[in-house]
Amino acid sequence: MRDALSNSLVNIAANNSKAILLTGDHGYALFDSFRKSYPKQYVNAGIAEQNMVGVAAGLARTGYRPIVYGLSAFVPIRVLEQIKLDVCHDNLPVIFLGDGAGFVYGTLGTSHQSTEDIAATRAIPNLTIFSPCDRFEMSAVMRAATEIGGPVYIRIGKCDLGDVHPQEISYKTGDLIELTQADSDITFFATGSMVKSAQQLAQEFNNANVVSVPTLKPINTQQVVSLLKKSRVAVVFEEHNVNAGLGAVICEISAELCPIRILRIGVTDRFSEHCGDYGYLLHEHGLDLATLRDKIRKYLQTITL
Amino acid sequence: MAYAGSAVHIGCAFSIVEILCVLYNNFLRFPENDCEHENRDYLILSKGHGVMAQYACMRYLDWLSQDELDVYFSNGSQLKGLSDSRVKGLEVTSGSLGHGLSVGVGMAFGASLSGSDQKTFVIVGDGEINEGSVWEALLFASHHQLKNLLVIVDANGYQAMGKTDEVIGLGNIESKFESFGFDVQTVDGHSEASLQETIEQLLSLPTAKPKALIANTVKGKGVSFMENNNVWHYSRLNSETLKQALAEIDGA
Repeated sequence: MRDALSNSLVNIAANNSKAILLTGDHGYALFDSFRKSYPKQYVNAGIAEQNMVGVAAGLARTGYRPIVYGLSAFVPIRVLEQIKLDVCHDNLPVIFLGDGAGFVYGTLGTSHQSTEDIAATRAIPNLTIFSPCDRFEMSAVMRAATEIGGPVYIRIGKCDLGDVHPQEISYKTGDLIELTQADSDITFFATGSMVKSAQQLAQEFNNANVVSVPTLKPINTQQVVSLLKKSRVAVVFEEHNVNAGLGAVICEISAELCPIRILRIGVTDRFSEHCGDYGYLLHEHGLDLATLRDKIRKYLQTITL
Repeated sequence: MAYAGSAVHIGCAFSIVEILCVLYNNFLRFPENDCEHENRDYLILSKGHGVMAQYACMRYLDWLSQDELDVYFSNGSQLKGLSDSRVKGLEVTSGSLGHGLSVGVGMAFGASLSGSDQKTFVIVGDGEINEGSVWEALLFASHHQLKNLLVIVDANGYQAMGKTDEVIGLGNIESKFESFGFDVQTVDGHSEASLQETIEQLLSLPTAKPKALIANTVKGKGVSFMENNNVWHYSRLNSETLKQALAEIDGA
């Protein structure tokens, strides 16, 4: 997935001499081939994220196509106001890459974890939000992002979970991707790292339909409704606070247009308690496979009573 | 404009009147008087609270109509209280302080990368430079040798709640900018002749450094009861104070 990101960046620079990659002193090996091939289109803006986003806005105003890279704990969280005011207010074509979303940097602690970035960015007008789940979605949303012509936030979570899709995908912004053709009365909606988990659990729950959600905003509402219509119950998976993330997106649409029972699974509005690696923290937050299985079982039992 | 809209931030606008006049009259290049011309120079009012002074200049340039000015600060108007990028002639949305300088640095950087001779002028308030992002922007401008950038500090000595020295002391602003790698001059910000001469000097320096001008100004300049009286950061004009203010300005 990181290779897909790195290659996408190189491709963007190859196709557009106005593309400029700015990083807040993060990224290291990720940009090796970019720096080698297009050194003039690479700027390390230093540990100064607020200025970096303002500079990106200025570059966009003068005809450039900036791509701003940071850890998602900093881009977009630290610079939310710059994104809102300097970039999104005028719909400027700036792509924000927020890496390490969720618990990727688990052992480093709360400063480097981000489970609030979807919630925070969802409320900013004009901003498109992507959350790819594997290398194929990564490449697809990078292609889509360059065509949007407005601001985009790409949430990049755990990158080494393996492929979800069997091959390259063609993708239209906003669409959900049905990974199974099962005719189940249960639908699993998942985004980013959690798509793999939803896939792994589907068989145990009536061969649940598994749907990957690479775009959080704007989302194809009609497609969500048609998926809800054929379901008795839905489960939403995300490595993000259950408040205002994907679970909320699906619930909002459901409540207005197609009410069904929905279980939201994510971070339950709390910070990590302990130091721990990715697997440890998934367990601490109840997002490991065993706890997910248990939560879904219990919920299904409750609603069938 | 301030009276018609019952607007606040009058003092903030009066400290930068001469700075704006000198920039528009002598330095800013707008081919064909087009405020959106792609080869224009960039003027960024990072202290968006002073936008009334800029609107007045834009009226003279015929970019705004009198009708538009008369509804400034009013319901339904395009002219919001603080600088807004959707108004033609304004480059950024500011007022949340510490934003405009970075955007201006980005525009100067873009012009520099493109090999364009466009210049970028950014006006920041002395209160505004409390913001840490301002100093991030100075580091970046200096590192990238943005000699096409002139930062003007409107040093009126006040911010919203009091004197800058009493709120959070700035020390010597000129030496701070120097230590950040800028060519710096200090000037009387209400003397158009000094402003013009000093800006010309700064812009003609052969160095690769970005430039800064510390303009010593008076908040509320031109109206005796507003000068250095910080209640005019927030106070509104009534018919009586309007009459007095106009009499003093017209008499000057």
